[in-house]
Amino acid sequence: MSLSKLTTQRRQTVWRFALVLLVVVVGVGIGIFVTRARLQAAPEQPLPYSHRTHVEAGIECLYCHAQAPRSPIAGIPSVERCMGCHANMATDDEGVQRLADYWERGEPIPWVRVDKQPDFVYFSHQPHLGAGINCETCHGNVAAMDETRPVLRMDMGWCLKCHTDQEPEHVARLADCVACHK
Amino acid sequence: MSVGISRRQFLKLSTVSAALSACSPATKRIMQSIEPQVRPPEETLPGQPVWYASTCRMCPAGCGIIVRTVNGRAKKIEGNPVHPLNRGKLCARGQAGLQELYHPDRLQNAVRQSGGRGSRQFEPLYWDDALRELRERLQSSVPARIAFLGGIMPDSLHLLFNRWLDALGAPPPVMFDLLTTLDGRTTASQVATTLYGSSLLPVYDIGNANAIFSFGANLLEVWESPVAYGRAFGQFRQGQTGGRGFFVQFEPRLSATAALADEWIPIRPGTEGLVALALGRIIVEEGLAGAFGRAQADLYRQVEVGALAEASDVSAETIMRLATTLAQSDRPVAIPGGLPAGHSNGYQAHLAIHALNHILRRLGLPGGVFLTPPSPAETLPAAPPPDSYRNILSLAAKMRDGEVDLLLIHGANPLFELPAAAGFAEALARVPFIVSFSPFVDETAAHSDLILPDHTYLESWGYEVVTPGADRPTVSGQQPVVRPLYDTRSTASVLLDLAAEMGGAMVDYLPWSDETLFLEDSAGVLFGSSLSAYGARTPGEFWAKWQQFGGWWSERELYEEPDVVGFEAQRPLEIVGPTYEGDATTYPYHLHLYPTVGLGDGRTGHLPWLQELPETMSTARWQTWVELNPQTAHRLGVENNDVVKVISPYGELEAAVVVFPGIRPDVVGIPVGQGHQDYGRYAARRGKNPMTLLAPTTDHNTGALAWGATRVRLEPTGQTYTLARLESLDGEGRERIR
Repeated sequence: MSLSKLTTQRRQTVWRFALVLLVVVVGVGIGIFVTRARLQAAPEQPLPYSHRTHVEAGIECLYCHAQAPRSPIAGIPSVERCMGCHANMATDDEGVQRLADYWERGEPIPWVRVDKQPDFVYFSHQPHLGAGINCETCHGNVAAMDETRPVLRMDMGWCLKCHTDQEPEHVARLADCVACHK
Repeated sequence: MSVGISRRQFLKLSTVSAALSACSPATKRIMQSIEPQVRPPEETLPGQPVWYASTCRMCPAGCGIIVRTVNGRAKKIEGNPVHPLNRGKLCARGQAGLQELYHPDRLQNAVRQSGGRGSRQFEPLYWDDALRELRERLQSSVPARIAFLGGIMPDSLHLLFNRWLDALGAPPPVMFDLLTTLDGRTTASQVATTLYGSSLLPVYDIGNANAIFSFGANLLEVWESPVAYGRAFGQFRQGQTGGRGFFVQFEPRLSATAALADEWIPIRPGTEGLVALALGRIIVEEGLAGAFGRAQADLYRQVEVGALAEASDVSAETIMRLATTLAQSDRPVAIPGGLPAGHSNGYQAHLAIHALNHILRRLGLPGGVFLTPPSPAETLPAAPPPDSYRNILSLAAKMRDGEVDLLLIHGANPLFELPAAAGFAEALARVPFIVSFSPFVDETAAHSDLILPDHTYLESWGYEVVTPGADRPTVSGQQPVVRPLYDTRSTASVLLDLAAEMGGAMVDYLPWSDETLFLEDSAGVLFGSSLSAYGARTPGEFWAKWQQFGGWWSERELYEEPDVVGFEAQRPLEIVGPTYEGDATTYPYHLHLYPTVGLGDGRTGHLPWLQELPETMSTARWQTWVELNPQTAHRLGVENNDVVKVISPYGELEAAVVVFPGIRPDVVGIPVGQGHQDYGRYAARRGKNPMTLLAPTTDHNTGALAWGATRVRLEPTGQTYTLARLESLDGEGRERIR
């Protein structure tokens, strides 16, 4: 009797442990899913800016992010550049009116950054554009977005995947640690 | 079968795990804003730093700086590595210049004081209205009744003011500031005029010397050009001369310079000249300086070493030993500093110290004494030495007598910097209209009718003939490193605009429509100079290089040798002891004021980085304190942080005690620089201004303020105030271990 009871108890313990483990795994799974979804979500911006509208109007990326081929950062257009068109265009739109308010007050617009590399990464747009890489390779199809959100995770594995996929004579240089971690 | 976990528990557990993983910091998005500029500077690339060469204006030395700007914003100031004066080095005050640019209490536009002077109620003004008002005042005033009071300003602006006042028919500018007063510049340049026939400030080549006898020159902290002297001190110590050299500092208080010296001689205040005379007498008498020295014996005919040793509280044996060391060194140099100039006998003291260099034949030789190289071009004159205290008093007297209708003030803050006993506040009250050009509401601006704020130096144009000089003729160029942050206006262009509107003689004197044209014209004279450190094929290229290099200087070293013309008239040297204000029984202590390495004379008191910077020896900060010798403190029954009342015949103040073994028992040390009433949130109502204690006495030879001649008494108050100090010392100079 005692043996079978013991066995039953042990069986119950194993079951309970397995179940708790399952519950935790499911929970963590949900957590990761939620987090990823949140990371990939579009951050709330101070003005309802749509890349889609602007691209459909025929504006090139580099019209606003003009410094990308020449500098480490692509740059956010100045309020002056926005007003270059919006002094006259779509002036009845509520978002544009709020833009004009910033301009009137002489205040910068506190846009929220969408894609960011950590401080220990030295990233420059200039060589990437120089190598003929398109904006959407890294930023996704921004042209179709009403609210801009990050598409790719932009982690080290993703960088290296592309860096090691180049012509063999460039790989040693591009895969070197100090190429990015200076 | 039951497994002991309910549905409810299952759900709870999953929620908690999900929540925990979602909260994991590794996956959290850091919200970061990315603010574009409203109007970006055209020439900048985002993320790409641009460095501009300019000139530091935090003190009058004129060091070259390079400023790192990113996206049109100034981020960091460094020394300009090619500039001959500071060679890439910069002091704490220079570094803190950024805080002046970004100061939250800067005036952002022209203002009128609407509630009357001193009300501190300011009403913004359009520049057009402000300038119209000033123009009408100028046109309705009799030119002789217009006065201009200036402080530390670029030489370019001094030149413009000079011409502008000349064109108006008004008296020339009166220049005064406390920092150069504490340096002893008035005395130094008058003594140079007497002895060398030139008012250019003497320069001491300590880098090539092997013995330095510094008479109250705090040359490693604040005196004249501390960065240049600091660099040269490194050269002196690091064996350029074949050894570490020998450095003696004569000073009643152990400053950081004295602490770095090989020997500190705590002499009685004001007796620097007497010690120099005693040293000289021994050198000529004992034949230590050879035949030339012996031939100078009549300079010291009246000197009695014993009496002077007693007067200065230095033993005759010490003087004897030091005289031997001084004379036997290959390349000694004696430096008359700011402290001896701050006494009633400052002029004679400087003469006596220069005489040491003369008998040892150290004038115009490496490791000896030179003069500041003069400006290389007539169109780029250096501003003359600042006016003496006596000249300020005569301006104050004119104001008091109602002879001044319109007073213009730029870069000077007489209400803070002059002794209260000078009565400048009452004189100011008698002037019908006062215009200040200060970028901050300082004490004097708070008593003006109109403030037309100038840009800060990082937004301004200008040039500065480096004074005291470098090892070659140098004109340091100043250019804006950022666009003006606010609706301030450069005073130079205000002057040019007013001249253009007023027309007539004004336009003939000041024909430039813009200050950059004026500077380009002035500097352009040096185009094609064979001395130039850089070449240029066209005037345009020269002007571009001027800005790239941060000014103009000679390619080679070019020292200005003093012309020894004045010693004949000084035979024998006069023996004049110091006189003090306040009798010795009622006021037993000498008041020793000193500028600190961070705050100087108080003009940088508005910058929190410099308030935070500990005074080198006491490590105290953010406050005013009173330094007492342990003996004195014991006699009074006070300790560190006990508040004492310091009383002079002219005023009193209360401050906490720092017990400091590095000060003579009969001396009370108080740093200047605190005690502002206005001047922004970090300076206002902080500490006490010891200028309120000073007797308004002068050295009658030069008219310089004898700021070291006041005596005081002390009264414990029974209160305590805990000073913010980096170190806690136990009063014997040892660190207290808690």
